[in-house]
Amino acid sequence: MTAMTRILIRHEAILGILFVVVLIAMASQNDRFLTTANLLNQARLMTEVGLIAIPMTFVIVTGGIDLSVGSILGLCAILLGVFWQNLGLPLPAAIGLSLAAGTAAGFANGLIVTRFRVPPLIATLATLALYRGLAEGISQARSVRGYPDWFAVLGRGDFLGIPTQLWLFALVAALGIFILRFTTFGRTTYAIGNNEAAAEFSGLPVERTKLLIYTASGFISALAAIVFVSRVSTTRSDMGSGIELEVITAVVLGGTSIFGGRGMVIGTLIGLCLMQILQNGLSLSGVRGDGTTVVIGAVLIVAVLISNLLSRFSSD
Amino acid sequence: MTPILELKNISKAFGPVKVLTGVDFDLRPGEVHALMGENGAGKSTMIRIAAGDHRAEEGEIRLDGKPRRFAGPREAQGEGIIVVHQELLLFPALSVAENVFLGHQPKTAAGLVDWGRMRREARDLLDRLDCPNLDVDQRVSRLSVADRQRVEIARALSRNARVLIMDEPTAALAEADVRRLLEVVRRLRSEGVAIVYVSHRMNEIFEIADRVTVLRDGVSVGTRPIAEVTEASLVSMMVGRDIHQLFPKEDIPRGEKRLELRGVSLAGVVEDISFDLHAGEILGIAGLVGSGRTELAQTIFGVTPATSGEILVDGKPQKIASVREAIDAGIAYVPEDRGSHGIIRAQPLRENVSMAILDRLTKFSVVDTGREQSLATDAIKRFSIRARDARQRVGQLSGGNQQKVVLAKWLATEPKILILDEPTRGVDVGAKTEIHRLMGELAKKGLAILMISSELPEVLGMSDRVLVMREGRLSAIVDRKDASPAAVGAAMMQGRREPARAGAAR
Amino acid sequence: MSRRLTHTLGSLGQEILLVVVILALFAFVGVYNPRFLSENNLTSIFVGNAYIAVAAIGMSLVIISGNIDVSIGALIGVLAVISGLLVTNGYPIWVAWLAPLVVGAAINAVVGCLIAYARVPSIIATLAMLSILSGGLITFTGGQWISGLPAGYQLAQFRLFNVPSPVWFMIGMTILAGFLMRYTTFGRSVYAVGSNPEAARATGISYKATVVKVFAIHGAIGGVAAVLFATQLQVIQSTVPVGLELVIITASVVGGVSILGGVGTVFGSTLAAILFAAIGSSLIFLNVSAYWLRAVQGILILATVLADMARRRRTG
Repeated sequence: MTAMTRILIRHEAILGILFVVVLIAMASQNDRFLTTANLLNQARLMTEVGLIAIPMTFVIVTGGIDLSVGSILGLCAILLGVFWQNLGLPLPAAIGLSLAAGTAAGFANGLIVTRFRVPPLIATLATLALYRGLAEGISQARSVRGYPDWFAVLGRGDFLGIPTQLWLFALVAALGIFILRFTTFGRTTYAIGNNEAAAEFSGLPVERTKLLIYTASGFISALAAIVFVSRVSTTRSDMGSGIELEVITAVVLGGTSIFGGRGMVIGTLIGLCLMQILQNGLSLSGVRGDGTTVVIGAVLIVAVLISNLLSRFSSD
Repeated sequence: MTPILELKNISKAFGPVKVLTGVDFDLRPGEVHALMGENGAGKSTMIRIAAGDHRAEEGEIRLDGKPRRFAGPREAQGEGIIVVHQELLLFPALSVAENVFLGHQPKTAAGLVDWGRMRREARDLLDRLDCPNLDVDQRVSRLSVADRQRVEIARALSRNARVLIMDEPTAALAEADVRRLLEVVRRLRSEGVAIVYVSHRMNEIFEIADRVTVLRDGVSVGTRPIAEVTEASLVSMMVGRDIHQLFPKEDIPRGEKRLELRGVSLAGVVEDISFDLHAGEILGIAGLVGSGRTELAQTIFGVTPATSGEILVDGKPQKIASVREAIDAGIAYVPEDRGSHGIIRAQPLRENVSMAILDRLTKFSVVDTGREQSLATDAIKRFSIRARDARQRVGQLSGGNQQKVVLAKWLATEPKILILDEPTRGVDVGAKTEIHRLMGELAKKGLAILMISSELPEVLGMSDRVLVMREGRLSAIVDRKDASPAAVGAAMMQGRREPARAGAAR
Repeated sequence: MSRRLTHTLGSLGQEILLVVVILALFAFVGVYNPRFLSENNLTSIFVGNAYIAVAAIGMSLVIISGNIDVSIGALIGVLAVISGLLVTNGYPIWVAWLAPLVVGAAINAVVGCLIAYARVPSIIATLAMLSILSGGLITFTGGQWISGLPAGYQLAQFRLFNVPSPVWFMIGMTILAGFLMRYTTFGRSVYAVGSNPEAARATGISYKATVVKVFAIHGAIGGVAAVLFATQLQVIQSTVPVGLELVIITASVVGGVSILGGVGTVFGSTLAAILFAAIGSSLIFLNVSAYWLRAVQGILILATVLADMARRRRTG
């Protein structure tokens, strides 16, 4: 364990304890909370945010940010409906094309950030508007319904007693953990976040890595769109708006520094779960859905404050 | 005459590292007082204390004979003590006039910024600095380095500077601009401004300074009137030992040709460079800052690929369009700016050392941490890096040990050609000797070494041949036996009006 | 003198370009459909969008100081509701007009403190605020509109010399802010902080104090925008127009305020806001679906940002 990971683990330890405390508090508040059915259902609801949070961890570790993920989700959801219903393509083909479109949208983000050197915040703020605008323009505010039953398996079905999309999420999360922790790609990601120039001077493929990360972010957002559409069995152009906030909150809450260079996928997962049970607990105790976004906002600020405080202690 | 500014018995430490110990310094009105010393001798810390940026732990500052404490730079500025920083602190997006007056703009009776007066006064100040062509409405981002420096000086004057501290003001200037700057310094002196002039350039010191103070390892070696010193005596004051004692250079037989440059250019920066470098040879590159030394090194290393010419490695033409290709061709580069290009402070030693050879340490792109660990522990042993273990973050190590980490990182690539850019900058004396010894060892093993250094003693002491650069071009290649400070210095300055005294001092 | 003139023209480049584009747009759409130039339509373009132009002034200050604020849309919504609730609960009308300014300044001063003193990046702090404000608003009002507004409250419906008051506000505030930014030491220190924070510190300008002041002023200007927004109609919607913050940011950026800080004027952002309003209206008159508006905005902001980066690379 390195000095850096020791500190991260400390952050994760704090988070883990917090998680358990909240879990106990929620369970004692409401006996419907700590049931397998409720927890699995919460995990199902968490999947879209969770999926996107994995590549977002990479993005933020490089010192960047991707605000356009929600818009990519919306655009891909709309495209799925359009390809399938309006163009009459078979649904699997529509899914494939929609995933390709999301990947292309992410690739475009990556190009703007690497080739044109636009700060990621502004680049993805612009594409946030653009992709959402395309979704609105293409859909003309019409929604698409009536997806076949087999498609609903992904979003509403179970496999081996566990929600189907959770298997997908587990796969993506495991892949994320593996890549960031053990591979040269992961190393390059950290190096870029800590000192991009030094990474370049060491011959690491800085541009290619960033391009790949933003592209992956687009692809996974499209994947989340498919899961989302399958779960609610309809497409609307406002799908996923504001999801970027939840994703970023989960990542930052999980100990990833917003300034880049440090963070782990495991932390993001804990951050996600904490957020989800907070929301669930609040709504079980009668707080309406919108009230929970207030909590998310507050939690985000507190998370960054804590992480700033921790990094002050650990700085050299 | 009472000195304007006096530093008495000043000591300062950063954590456990003592930077200044009992330093005395005084500055009289209307004098140019040169401050010299090797990198890391404590010059910049002393300047910062005088300017209220740092506080000394011991000793006192006297202003016009009265003890004074500065709570911050603003207080010192209020007393007319102004620093012209080496890295110019300007606002690129704003106009020249505004840069001169930002923070103390002339106001109208109603308390509003008086743009008319601001522009006029900026104009007057620039005229006083003899730059009638500098437009006060121009954005600073469009100015040359020399013009930016004039803006910075005008800014100091606008605050009624009584004490002007110039930190290596000529470091990035071309010859003609250096001339003009020295003119300005003379003029200010005749107006009664007291000037602290920090520079490495001997001939400037002899031309402009009235007195000179030399710092070495945080201690003042002495203050002398300029007429009482020679270039040689200054060098020995700075270095403290005889040059040849300091650099135990062994004679190593020259091996086969490793690297050859044929007419290599980087448009507008480096022009038409040709030389060759042999196994076992240490080729020093001398030249002023801004002469294109670092740019040449980074061109060979693929950071800024050459725009024309040919680079041959082991006799074969090699296309080097990226750092990766340079590494694959067997070239390694230890950069000048260690903090921003060499190390990753927040990451452990182990991950720093393996960074350039990650692709060789992997199986199916998974990093082999076992091999990485042994690579790091070997490096700690081989270079006697003082670190707790391979997991310690590099940011926590001292400058010398950080430099060894960078060396270890690049030697791990098993290069044939090693480029060292200011290898001992910001490194303590002990580590410096170790690095020099290591260079000798590596040369003996057949490595071809290209070494850039601003310290002439280092270049002369370590090199088999010295390549001198001036304004992006090769101005001379001098053999070790002919390499005297005078010969190399002359090639560095060539074309510049030499003050008689600096030449005669040899 | 002529050299000075070219400089002035040069620094006003973006503003002049915008004027030309606006005139061309009016001419083009006017020829295609003369009703576009009718007094009715022109009035509705200006009256309906003046609050955006006003808010963009504050946003310009924020971006010039090197920060960003994505919560302004939600803030306007909250302040509008506060104003409406005050007046329907019997407070004097002038209180309802002034309270949003004070509350806006106070809220954003807190945000400014988070950014300046607690080193929370502005994007994170304001994302969190967006979540807190918009969630809080809907939770509080339950989405119900406020009606029963007393006569004399509708500030935005007043006219002076037959020109609607929002237009006066837009022009007046732009001139006032332009004056503030050019002729006061505070205004100049905003440019200094955005251009080079390190150098600003060395000059004795306080980064922290400047940022807090900028955000407070931005909040007060947001209050003015909120009053204009609230007093347009006989009811106050308690939801925030979706993507309002983005329109406001886009107006600033397209108006020539550099995303990297330190550059720009408030005149450009007002012109850009007018341009957007005109584009939105002209889509209708050109028989293009209004659902494409956001996509057009996205393309505009992206094009402006890319041009800005290219220009910076050229001039260094």
